[in-house]
Amino acid sequence: MHPHPRSPAPSWRALALLACGLAACGAGMEAGDAASAPLSGSESVADPDLLAQAERTVVVDFVDGTTKAQFDSWEQAWGVDLEFNSEHGVVTGITIATGVENSEGLLRSLREHPAVESAEMLSVYSTRFEPNDPGFDRQWNLKMIDMPAAWEHNRGKGVVVAVIDTGIAYEDRGDFRRVPDLKGVRFVPGYDFVNDTPHANDDHGHGTHVAGTIAQATHNKLGVAGIAHEASLMPIKVLNHFGAGTSADIADAIRWAADHGAQVINLSLGGGMRSRVMEQAIAHARAKGVTVVAAAGNRGIGKVEFPAAYDGVIAVGAVGPDGQRAPYSSYGAALDLVAPGGNKSLGGDAGGVVQNTIDPRDPSRSIFGSYQGTSMATPHVAGVAALLYAAGANDPDEVERALIAGAKPMGGALRTDDHGHGLLNARGALEALQQTGKGKVNWSPLAWASVLLAGVLLTLRGRARPGYLNVLFGPRFLISLVLTTVGAFFLRWLGDGDTLNAASLPLPDLERIIFGRGRLANPLMYSALVPLLLSFAAIARKSLRPVVAGVSIGFAAMLAYAAWSGAPALAWLPFKALALPWLTVHAFICLFIGRAMLRREEGA
Amino acid sequence: MTTLRGTIAFRDIEFGVWVLQGEDGKTYQLAGGDRQLKKEGRRIEATGSIRKDLATAAMVGPVFHVDSYRFL
Repeated sequence: MHPHPRSPAPSWRALALLACGLAACGAGMEAGDAASAPLSGSESVADPDLLAQAERTVVVDFVDGTTKAQFDSWEQAWGVDLEFNSEHGVVTGITIATGVENSEGLLRSLREHPAVESAEMLSVYSTRFEPNDPGFDRQWNLKMIDMPAAWEHNRGKGVVVAVIDTGIAYEDRGDFRRVPDLKGVRFVPGYDFVNDTPHANDDHGHGTHVAGTIAQATHNKLGVAGIAHEASLMPIKVLNHFGAGTSADIADAIRWAADHGAQVINLSLGGGMRSRVMEQAIAHARAKGVTVVAAAGNRGIGKVEFPAAYDGVIAVGAVGPDGQRAPYSSYGAALDLVAPGGNKSLGGDAGGVVQNTIDPRDPSRSIFGSYQGTSMATPHVAGVAALLYAAGANDPDEVERALIAGAKPMGGALRTDDHGHGLLNARGALEALQQTGKGKVNWSPLAWASVLLAGVLLTLRGRARPGYLNVLFGPRFLISLVLTTVGAFFLRWLGDGDTLNAASLPLPDLERIIFGRGRLANPLMYSALVPLLLSFAAIARKSLRPVVAGVSIGFAAMLAYAAWSGAPALAWLPFKALALPWLTVHAFICLFIGRAMLRREEGA
Repeated sequence: MTTLRGTIAFRDIEFGVWVLQGEDGKTYQLAGGDRQLKKEGRRIEATGSIRKDLATAAMVGPVFHVDSYRFL
């Protein structure tokens, strides 16, 4: 979604944080919400050495004012070697002992001592995102695709995913009730093609379940988690209350979603004949930069259903909790990937995919249903596709390449008809996207700059037009223009290191060194602020003017390109509707500054 | 109009779906008929239409819309 090359290294961030002050006020809110959660020993998410050490470490909090001499004299009886946890231990009374055997007995005798306020085993805390949804433990499916690691990158913010299905239980309206675990999830307007209303509520349950896998409210101490839970859902109903719908409605819905800002379309449906109308709707969506994901089908035969089988659609099969293709999952040459879809012959409901939905017998009642099917596998891929867009993927080709490159090959081959290119992996896909972004220079902003510059020159007539040799082809103007629009691209030719990549970013993206790729762009950097500040400096020093002109025209080009490429992801600007005028207005201000800097003064 | 013979079955796939395991070797997703039709394991002969224009959430096979049927 964001048009520029990216990839600062995490190790660089701390260093650059010191150096770069301006941007720091910005995207920090993005990074700050990762929850601190204690890790259980079985979850090997933190440093395994640290966890192993924690199992043999006790923390003892003594009454404040307890001295080292005092607990040194008591520790003989306990058989441990206690030390203050930090230099502040004298005040806080917090001590730790490592290499503890028989921790149960030790803790018991420690707690009996009058000077001990509390004693417990050491917990290792991590900033890694661990959802506190009580049902998260049951979601084998999310762990199978490495979601906890992927949530470290992003959670789909700013991306719109259309769920073309039976509708979504997303609002309280008439008989319809929003299910509780969709509270707080963002929705954009959708459409009900079955009943021809703008309110695509669910009278079946299938669509709500599918939507839950994509964006269930997460870390809300309720129910279960969803993959891209900061993305926005677009509810679209094409299947009636029996779960069936026509090719005409589905084709209509695909075009509607693509024309109304969806970046990912989830089609957990299939069957019927090949439809030329639907095929063209998919081509239309793909041409608009939309990734279309569809279910392979539940017939368990060697033929993938339409629409999954059409060109331009990512066809998804299902695996059970054992990681093997589920017996119902259709397969064949058209299959692209497999994802967790459940297999209830393994452990009953525990083998299915659990999300919040409505009771099929009573649509006003909320349940946490466990279901199996390629319908359940498909939204896993749609959710990860949303993370890829949020991480900077621009088009379905890039998304598809990253999904395939990140997948875990199965069956001992890179591709098989049973498993496609392998098992979806969210972390792998995001890392693959990062790899393809490296070393790639986006020349488009420079091209935009040339066009804008030509436009500016047209407005400067006669003597006001700057000289070509001394200004336009002079190093001060050209170098600053290039650094602003494409960055120090030549650095990339020197090597592939993260540091080089970060340093070579275009000027407005340099703040990403701190906040990482995939973070939203900072509206202050994507504005006329920098050219404006520089132009003040140029008032006094005329020799700076070509430099400021280059930067200004470069900024104008970056802003115009970001606006043109669609869906500009700016932090804190809540609606795309606001981001577009922001970019446009500031592009014009930049052009104005650039023009003023280029203009040759009368008589000069 | 199509006449099919087969066995009624419930499949726990997606939200659960009633199918006709046709004696032609194909599986059809059932629609139409009445609720008496939902008898696991019973053989029927049914007349109705195969709706090739429909896609479904269950994706277990083409929709067979039953107009009339009898148990065998």
